[in-house]
Amino acid sequence: MLTALEFMLAPLIACLLLISITVYFGIHVLKREIIFIDIALAQIAALGSAVTLILHELDIGSHDHVYEHDSKSLMAYIFCILAAGLFTMLKNKNIRITLEAIIGIAYAVAATGVVIILDKGAGGDVHVHDMLTGSILWVSWSQILRLAIVVLTIGGLHYIFRSKFKDLTNHYANNQSQLNHPKIWDFLFYFTFGIVVVEAVSIGGILTVFAFLIIPASISVLFTTRWSFRILIGLIIGTIATILGLYFSWTMDLSSSPLIILFMGILLGLALILKVLKNLKSSTKNKNLL
Amino acid sequence: MLDNLLFLAPPITASIILAGILSYFGNHILSRGIIFIDIAVAQIAALGTMIGLLIGFAEESFIVQALSYVFTLSIISLFALTKFRKQLIPQEAIIGIIYCLGLGLAILLAEKIPGGSNFITKTITGNILWVTWDKVWSILLLFLAIGVIHIIFGKHFIRISSSPNDYPYSPGRTRLYELLFYISFGVVIVKAVPVGGIFLVFILLIAPTAAATLFTGNWKTRFILSWIIGILGSVVGIYLSYNLNISNGPAIVCLLGITVFLLTFLKMAMKNKNANTSQNIL
Repeated sequence: MLTALEFMLAPLIACLLLISITVYFGIHVLKREIIFIDIALAQIAALGSAVTLILHELDIGSHDHVYEHDSKSLMAYIFCILAAGLFTMLKNKNIRITLEAIIGIAYAVAATGVVIILDKGAGGDVHVHDMLTGSILWVSWSQILRLAIVVLTIGGLHYIFRSKFKDLTNHYANNQSQLNHPKIWDFLFYFTFGIVVVEAVSIGGILTVFAFLIIPASISVLFTTRWSFRILIGLIIGTIATILGLYFSWTMDLSSSPLIILFMGILLGLALILKVLKNLKSSTKNKNLL
Repeated sequence: MLDNLLFLAPPITASIILAGILSYFGNHILSRGIIFIDIAVAQIAALGTMIGLLIGFAEESFIVQALSYVFTLSIISLFALTKFRKQLIPQEAIIGIIYCLGLGLAILLAEKIPGGSNFITKTITGNILWVTWDKVWSILLLFLAIGVIHIIFGKHFIRISSSPNDYPYSPGRTRLYELLFYISFGVVIVKAVPVGGIFLVFILLIAPTAAATLFTGNWKTRFILSWIIGILGSVVGIYLSYNLNISNGPAIVCLLGITVFLLTFLKMAMKNKNANTSQNIL
């Protein structure tokens, strides 16, 4: 039992760190209806990494004593900034296409762009497969430290300016934000979100991060519209699913990420049943009153 | 030259057929704001195949394919019934949840099937270059049949697609049309993805209609424009891929996707110019 705890402690802490930030961003994502943005951003970052690979092969740029990982994430971040700029600019009433469609097209172009680039390079397809579910069981303490710093910095930034970001998202659909420079804040939002996605995906994998973003926010919206309650509900849901997922992954010898996702799905199912029961109850109550 | 043409004739024909049906559906998909639905549908179809394999049937057997269809159509029928007047969870979020639960289950099942990880994405990748004339005929016939359904019920589908937060008919009738729409869409996706691959299908759905919607809101013009853009993009894409020696699916995807971005910037530049000139007049 003790070994299980020792073995699972790092993944557990990593998951809890991930959840603490994704639950918050998930509410933004759901409200703005830009559901697949993290998959697109992760893919664009991967395109950045692929570009680095090519630059490397063509001997462009200095490659003395550059650690591969660092140079990869540098280019990934540059692509993230570009994407943040793109998504800020193209949220525009004049063009009549929803941002989700733009995100979709950006995703498809980035994904196939990677294929075209790696076709020319060598041995890249392994990298793509690894990105899907990550390998949270093998997370190292130094990765956790790095994630913690990112989460605290960006979480802190969003906490200090919470009124601005909330205002922006609440008025996202009708473009009636009261802020002085909505575009700048919007850019800041996408940029910080992009950093979180790149860091989170490198630890948890695209699919896990996606589930952490969407499912807790979908559950909490059923019961309340207040941000603080929604974050609280999301944290509870995420923690329960993570603990159950890691536990069964240990005892039944299955992959942990899919199990965590499935437990979140089950919790969502339970929440839907609860909601329906609640609605039935209140409607019978109303009938009694009438 | 003639050899090239003979070699490229089936993929070009197939891509024109795909562009024809997908660009049409894309207009509905874009107006409903359910952009990623085809990726979710393809994932569920893959899951159905894997369950068939797990029970112990051969991959190409009738039962596995039937299971895959039954699975996909029951999930998409459920999805068709999730449209409400007061939508708490956006439909696109429901798509996201279906996708990640489907993929999560597929990854778990893959551990139980020998060589299973190959099947996670098996139905998701396709290569249009290797399509045969038999395949071209079979998708043409199927899509024609679905086209007939849409010619008969098209105007009802359009009315539902243009009112995202309401039932234009009585709830029962709306749901019936929704079922018909989504089931026909599901069949198209399950059939099209193994031929073209997930990204080609995705881009043919979204990019042509996005480009058309930039310039018009009228349904008829949108259909015509998106057909032209979709077919042109596929043919030019295959030609370019052949000459530049890159894979053809990715070539079409990048060509159409980048075209949309360029057109979007053009449109925004035009709007700004208009705004400037009107300010000058004042």
